[in-house]
Amino acid sequence: MIIKVERSGGLVGLHTSTEIDAKDLPPQLITKARKIINAKISLLPRKAKPIGSADHYSFKISIHDSKRRKVFECTQYNIHDDLKSLVNYIEKNSKKVKLKDASFKP
Amino acid sequence: MFFKKGSTVVRRSGRLLNWTNHTCFIIPEYVNKKIVEKGTKKQKEQAWKNLILTEQLRGRRLVTGLMSSMFSVSNRLERTIFDAKNSENLPGTLVRREGEKAKGGKPVTEAYDYSGSTYNLFREIFDRNSIDTRGMKLDSTVHYGDDYNNAFWNGTQMVYGDGDGDIFQRFTKSIDVIGHELTHGVTQYEAALEYEGQAGALNESFSDVFGSLVKQYSLKQKVDKADWLIGSGLFTRKIRGSALRSMKEPGTAYDDPIIGKDPQPGHMKDYVETTDDNGGVHINSGIPNRAFYLIAKELGGYAWEKAGKIWYLTLTERLRERSDFQKAAESTFQVARNLYGEGSHEEDAVKQSWNLVGIKIKSKR
Repeated sequence: MIIKVERSGGLVGLHTSTEIDAKDLPPQLITKARKIINAKISLLPRKAKPIGSADHYSFKISIHDSKRRKVFECTQYNIHDDLKSLVNYIEKNSKKVKLKDASFKP
Repeated sequence: MFFKKGSTVVRRSGRLLNWTNHTCFIIPEYVNKKIVEKGTKKQKEQAWKNLILTEQLRGRRLVTGLMSSMFSVSNRLERTIFDAKNSENLPGTLVRREGEKAKGGKPVTEAYDYSGSTYNLFREIFDRNSIDTRGMKLDSTVHYGDDYNNAFWNGTQMVYGDGDGDIFQRFTKSIDVIGHELTHGVTQYEAALEYEGQAGALNESFSDVFGSLVKQYSLKQKVDKADWLIGSGLFTRKIRGSALRSMKEPGTAYDDPIIGKDPQPGHMKDYVETTDDNGGVHINSGIPNRAFYLIAKELGGYAWEKAGKIWYLTLTERLRERSDFQKAAESTFQVARNLYGEGSHEEDAVKQSWNLVGIKIKSKR
């Protein structure tokens, strides 16, 4: 199972893209990734970004295995907790785990 | 599309159709906000109800906290700094209130001092009482998240990360970044520019403009002495770059193997069409940023005196949610004419500067 996290926005406006094989995740995050790809309901809360908010992050998170592919587009305000823990781990540990791609593209 | 709820019909655009005694009238959201701010007690109550209903239907609960500040008026600067202690819980633990001695370390001191500098520019130069014109408290949270590489305005307060120490240093380090974030609050209460496409790029540009003016005003710098950089000093020494953005020369702020090259255009011929970053709001803001720099340079002196005044009046009196670059250009031209007269040097400087970034003013003399 491959997880790709693309992040854009923020004060700086940089686009980052990080991809990881789920087998490089800690066991509890592998469970969360499986739960996400197997979920039959939307994982994104119906919560808009606050009025007037600016410089927040937007995310595009793709999770796919040999059979399924799910793509989530959300902001820092409506990201699901399970997705957020995956994103936090992948971005924080991008230099410690094996990356297929970890590059900034303006 | 319309939704019915009780006796009120609401359109997806956020505009409200109230049915009272069989009379239907449309009240735009910004009008309701103005009524809450300036109306009579009875008018305020109705507008307040309208806003809450609109926001509930949109699922935006935070407006309640945001708008409640409008009911109180304070005539003094009131800053509060919180510490998130590297969590993402807001606002965090209270560290410093207005008037208290410095404590809590550099980020707390910087957030406190620089939000004060921002308040001072708006108060002393534009006669504006804080973000909302009614003395809204300036709340900031520092030490947000873990190695968090960002600063943002969440609609009610400013939030600053510490940076990862690898690419970025702490985001409170730069006075213009703090001015930038607070100006998002001003925009929210004035033009309320949508955070998407050209309106979003204008939203970003106004924040850069007033962020830079906060720095220039605090240093009492004239146009030719200012660096016209946003976020100078935020990058660590590992990164080849002087700042996040350059208003003077968009596209030249950084060029680095890790983070790439500054993508900002300084002319409409290089406008970037993208779905990233809410339609490139931090990218295409380079165009109006450069227009402002060119006008300020042409007029000389202190940038806040003339160019800043034109921009402030445009933001507060001329622009609306979906204004685009052309509208902004025409509006600055009209404001310059009103302030300095038809055929004035200032009016001509506005016209020529927009022309230099690829936007022709259509208004006739």
